[in-house]
Order: sequence, then structure tokens, then C-alpha cells
Amino acid sequence: MTNQARDAVGDYKAGWHDPENSTIRFDAGLSEKVVRDISELKNEPEWMTEMRVKAFKHFDERPMPTWGNMSMLNEINFDKICYYLRSSKATENDWEDVPEDIRNTFDRLGIPDAEQKWLSGVTAQYESEAVYHSIREDLQKQGVIFLDMDSGLREHEDLVKKWFGSVVPYSDNKFSALNTAVWSGGSFIYVPKGVHVELPVQAYFRINAKNMGQFERTLIIADEGSSIHYVEGCTAPTYSTDSLHSAVVELIALPGAHIRYSTVQNWSANVYNLVTKRGIAHENSKIEWVDGNIGSKLTMKYPSVILKGEGAHAEVISVAYSGSGQHQDAGAKIHHLASNTTSKILSKSISKDGGRGSYRGLVTVSPKAQNCKLNVVCDALILDEDSRSDTYPTMEVANPTARCEHEASVSKVSDNQLFYLMSRGHSEEEALALIVNGFFEPFTRELPMEYAVELNKLMALEMEGSIG
Amino acid sequence: MNPDQTYLSLEEPSNADHLWRYSPWKKVHPTGNIKEVPENFSQPELSLFMLDGSKAPDSFSILKESIMTKKNSYSDPVSMNFIDAVSSKNKFTLKVNNNTILKQPVILKINLGESNSSMNLTMDIGRHCQFELVTQIVGSAPWFGLIRNGEIGEGSVINDVLVGQMNTGTLMRVDAINIGRDAQVKAGSISSGSERTKADLRYMMNQNGGNLRVLGSILSANEMHIDHHVEIHHEAANTYSRLDWHSACGGNSRTIGTGMLRVADGAIGADAGQLFHNLLLSEKAEADSIPELEVSEHDVVGCGHGTANGPVDEEQLFYLEARGLNPEDAKDALIAAFLNSTLSEMGSELLHQWLANNLQDELKSLTT
Repeated sequence: MTNQARDAVGDYKAGWHDPENSTIRFDAGLSEKVVRDISELKNEPEWMTEMRVKAFKHFDERPMPTWGNMSMLNEINFDKICYYLRSSKATENDWEDVPEDIRNTFDRLGIPDAEQKWLSGVTAQYESEAVYHSIREDLQKQGVIFLDMDSGLREHEDLVKKWFGSVVPYSDNKFSALNTAVWSGGSFIYVPKGVHVELPVQAYFRINAKNMGQFERTLIIADEGSSIHYVEGCTAPTYSTDSLHSAVVELIALPGAHIRYSTVQNWSANVYNLVTKRGIAHENSKIEWVDGNIGSKLTMKYPSVILKGEGAHAEVISVAYSGSGQHQDAGAKIHHLASNTTSKILSKSISKDGGRGSYRGLVTVSPKAQNCKLNVVCDALILDEDSRSDTYPTMEVANPTARCEHEASVSKVSDNQLFYLMSRGHSEEEALALIVNGFFEPFTRELPMEYAVELNKLMALEMEGSIG
Repeated sequence: MNPDQTYLSLEEPSNADHLWRYSPWKKVHPTGNIKEVPENFSQPELSLFMLDGSKAPDSFSILKESIMTKKNSYSDPVSMNFIDAVSSKNKFTLKVNNNTILKQPVILKINLGESNSSMNLTMDIGRHCQFELVTQIVGSAPWFGLIRNGEIGEGSVINDVLVGQMNTGTLMRVDAINIGRDAQVKAGSISSGSERTKADLRYMMNQNGGNLRVLGSILSANEMHIDHHVEIHHEAANTYSRLDWHSACGGNSRTIGTGMLRVADGAIGADAGQLFHNLLLSEKAEADSIPELEVSEHDVVGCGHGTANGPVDEEQLFYLEARGLNPEDAKDALIAAFLNSTLSEMGSELLHQWLANNLQDELKSLTT
């Protein structure tokens, strides 16, 4: 089993890197000039330039967070990061027009195959810019907009101006300010009223260069009664120096809409992954975050949902694997602002080889939100004596009709389960991999099949060498 | 450095620290000016007696001095040094000799009078003792600070209950207690009365086989703000802890329960759990919980936590009303049962009866 997994996945199979053939590379370091230059290069409208500059000033003034893994956070040297790097002159709609070296990268990651088999559309982002983009014709005819964010701003400025920053304002936190100042790429999606996008759309983000910062911005608007499933994957090469990924994702589910946002993050162990993801759910709408964190050096990511309309529902299902030198500080936030809203958070984490997994969550119920129900479950497995697991849930309830539950447990792999599987012919290592896959099963069953298979193989590989 | 110098050298605690998230230090400080260490805090009046009113035995005494020079290092420096500073003339030791076994609870009554007051109490509990202690705080002081710092001796079996019944004002309480080898401790907190309570309760399980139950029955009504932070640190092998915290919140009150359960690397066989339950009784009441868990040892029996918030159960109300209780009595009975489920675990039947009688008036204020 593990050999098969190795064949399929390799040792961090996305850890290679191509020669860097950048067309434009800004000098490392951040200043107002860099921010204005990015905006000018993209020929953006004035309001966006001004928003970027305001965000930069906020970023500059705002101190680093005083919570979380401060020692790791303070290792980030913002002066050494390159904030813009373009490797392709334009976003292509035909795979053959993508520069060969970049095409090779995505071929090795299997993106074109996936597109042909089971996707409604795909965007591939390499460094700062989207290099390839396509959407099925029938969806386009129904009015579905699926563009990279830069094209979205050019072609649908009114929509972008209305919603950009409405869910995650630049002043939300230091890293949302940084993203707003230097954002580049990401996806812009608008699904018209009543349209159901049956197959998932996918974005794939790849950092190839050293000391690179990737700051994509994604905005998804699902109009009344529509639905969409968005899937994103992330990889980067393994370098000895660190890179920074600081994205902002904003979801807007208008009345009766349904948005599912799935992520399998497998950054290499030199990437800081500091992401702000938030959705607003209007009446009777539903937002789901399905979030897998396997790679990165430090992840700080708390997908959140503001339940603004009556009857709205939110779900966050997340798994995190923390290996050697990794800290996965992930969690979820749900704000119940309206009556009869419901939410569910399921978080699972595994720590191994000295890794640290943390769940950090916040659930609030406002005084006017009647009859809300919420349930939070966190399970953690610690596989060896060097590893660590933390749970930091916060629950603030200001309405007496709310029913709120939180439970968390930390345990080791049960000897009984291992014995049961080994008595049926599995080696101890295989038995452990099966138990771990079973532990993650509530997450993998929510993923498209190809992602689920990949994740299971990945976890089997990570479990190699766990015994003895 | 003296405690007041140490305190003044410290920075204002950040609200990123969960201990101070909901009750910032300047709101708990007696004057609100955190750069000030007020002087002339009065000494509370102490009395120590058995439950039946008789004198406590000689093996169980209060000394007007602190025999412990070293503070437990895991306590919060700001509150610990501040109360220590304002208690320079009010240091006491609760001295319990080895092998002291008492058949009825001992009451330590702390009468605050009407002016700001503080007290630093060293707990020096000997080995193989068995007793129940109720520390009852009464009076109308605007502010009272209490440190209880010390150790429970090896093999002792102790039920330690603190009842906060100040008529008004702020109670700032800091506990830093080491649990001895194979000691069995029940630490109960009953909070009602004071307008603002800020309690920082920390227990260190650094000797093998320690067994700790932390129990809370919190009644908040009117404009009360009651904030309890409970930390349990498992550092030694085969230690066991459970926290059960029940808060009933009425009026415009707010109750806060934050907890930290930390299992250190090497605490093999640790078995730890914490549960916060909040019963919300009015539209304007609020309950907040942060039960934190940090586990650095994989070979544990189990570590978990949970929290649940909700209103009085409609089905239970219906059940009682169907048996002839009017709606108000049915609700009162359910609130009393909710609080009693932790109260009844704090000690013997005798102790429970005494607590229940003492808290009748508070229960009424909660439901009216």
C-alpha cells in the first residue's frame, strides 16, 4: 500500500521547481511605490489604486498579531519577499498557448487531465498571475462568470467595486491589509440567479520562485437560488528560504444560494500560509468550507461565515496534518446574527514527528438571533511523544434561546484498533495508515473523488515510518 | 524587588490573553488607575470554627504571618503581585498539621466590613489529612483581593469550597495550589453577590497520582459580571482532573468561564477533562466560554473538553407543570437542580446541606 502511495505521490511530489523565467520581477521589499506600480502595471481604475494604498498604510502601521505562534510569525522578513512576479504575458484560454515551462509544471500536477474529466472550469495561477483559464461553454451561455480576478476587474468593474472588500475589509487584520495592497490573480466568479453549476470549478495555485509572496484574491458571488462548488489546490517547491502565501477569499451567498469552497493545501514546508477566508450568508443560504491543511511551515487560517439572513446555515469541515517543523493553526469562526440560523464545525487534526496542530475557533450568537443551533466537534490524534495538540475554542452567547455545544478530545491511536487490523493481515504501518484515513474520512467524503483519492495516498505516505 | 515594585514594572496585560479578554485589568483594579498601588487596605476579620459553632482543633489554625516566601511561578504576575503588594500587612497562613482528620467541616469566615480590603493566605496543608474547609467571604467592601497560595500535602483528602457572598463590590481572587502526591482534592467555587468577580484559579499537578475535581456553581443576576479562569497543569504521571462548571445567568448579567487544561510532555497516563455548562435565563444575560486544551504528551488516558449553552429545557418544564407545579416553581426547581448538580459534588451531605441553606436567598434573587 505504501509503495503504491509512493509511486503515486512521491516524496512531496510537488517539491521540484522549474528554472525561473520571469518576464517581470519586482525587487524585494514593500513600499507605496511598489503598491502603485503593481496597480499601474495592471492598468487598474483609480479607486482600486487608492484602496491598495490605504491598505498598504494600514499594513505598515498595524503591529503583528500578539497571539498564535508569534515566534514563527516574527521570523517573516517582509523586506526579503518579492511582491510581484509575472511569468507569462497574458492569461491564456488555450492550454497550448501557455509558456512551455509553466505548462510542464501544471502537466506534472495533472491540471489539464482533471479539467477534461470532471471540471466545469479551471484557473491556473503561477506566481502572481493567472496563466491559464477556461470555462465550459454551456455555463458561459447561462451567464456564469468565471475569470481570474484581474480580468474580472477589467470586464465587470461594477460588480467588483460593489463586492470587493465588503466581506473582508483591508482593515480586518494585518494580512488582509497586505493582500489588499498587493493582490494579484485569484478567481472572480458570479453565478446568476437560479443557475446550478453541477461540476466543480477549480483553481490551482503554484509558487515556483524563491522568497516569493503570492497574494491572490478570490471573490465568489452566488446570486439568489444558485449553487457552485469551488475547489482549490496549492503547491510550492521546497527551498531553504521561506515564501509567503497570504490570500483573501470573500464569498457572498445571496438568498437561497449554496456555495461550497474546498481546499487541499499542500504547500511545501517553507511556506507561511496566512489566509483570511470569510463568507456572508443571506436568508436561507448555505456556505460550506471544506478545508484540508497538509503542508506549509505555519498555517493560520480560520474560515468564517457571517450568518446574516434568517435560516442561513454554515458548515466548516477541516483536517490538518502537522509533521516535523510544522504548525497548523487552523479553525473556524461563525457569527450568528440572524434568527433560526444553524452551524456545524468539525475539525480533525493529526500531529506527528514533533508537529503542532491547533484548533482556534470563535462562535458568537448575537442578542437578536433567536433559536440558533450550533455544534462544534474537534478531535485530535497525537502519534508520538514529540508532538503537540491544542484547542482554543471561544463561545460567546448573548441570546437565551440558543443551543450551543462544543466538544473536543485528544487521544492516541487505539491499541485495540491496531491489533484488530493487524490480526487481519495488515502490517502495523498499514494498519496505522488505515486508521488515519478512517479518522479523516468525514472530510474526504466531502471532497470530489479525485481529491479524496489523492489525499488518502498523501496521508498513507505521511504515515510511512511512523512505526518503530 | 518588593511586590509593589514588581507590579509597577509589569506591562498592562493584553486582552489577547484569554485571562483578561472579558475583564480587562483596569476594570478590576480598585481605582481603575493601573499605575497606582493603593495603600491602607484594611485587614479583614477572620474567624475559624467548626460547622456546629465549636472551636477548631489546635492542629487546624490560622497564623498571622506568611510562612511561604516563594510564590508559585505558574500564577499570573499582574494580579498576584498587585494583591501581594496591597496585602503587605494582611498575610496569614492556614496551617494544618500532618494526619489531621476532622469529621465535620471547618468554616473560615472572612468578614470584610465596608472598606477596601485584601489578604494573602498561604495554604500549608500537611500530609495524610482529611477534612472539609469552607471559606466564606461576606461584607460590603467595595473591593477585596484574595490570594490563596500553597500546597496540599501528600495523600491528603480535602474538600475545599470557597463561597463568595459579598453584598456588593469587586472580588479579585487568585488561587495557586500544588496538588501533592496521591492527594485527592475537590475545589469548589460558589459565586454570588459581588457585582464583579474576577477569579484566576490555577492548580499544579506536579506529583504522581494527584486527583483533582474543580467544581463551580455560579449564580449571576442583575448587573453582575462574573469571570472565572481555571487552569489545570498536568506535569506528573498518572494524574487525574475533572472540571465541571455550572453557571446560571439572569438579569443583565454576564458570566465568563475560561479554562486551560495543559498536559505537559512526560505526563504519561494523564486523564483530564473539563465541562462548562451555561443556563441563560433572560434576554439580556450573556455567557462566554473558552475551554482551552494544550496536550504535549501522546501517551494519555484521554484529554477532552466541552461546553454547552442553552435555555431551561421546555420538555422538563412541561413535565413538572404536568405534575402540578406552576410555571415559576417549575423553572425555579430546574435552576436549583442545575446548580445543585455541581454543588452536591463538592463535599459531604453535611456540607451540602449547609451550602444549600446558605444559598436560598441567592437562588431567589436569580429567579425573580
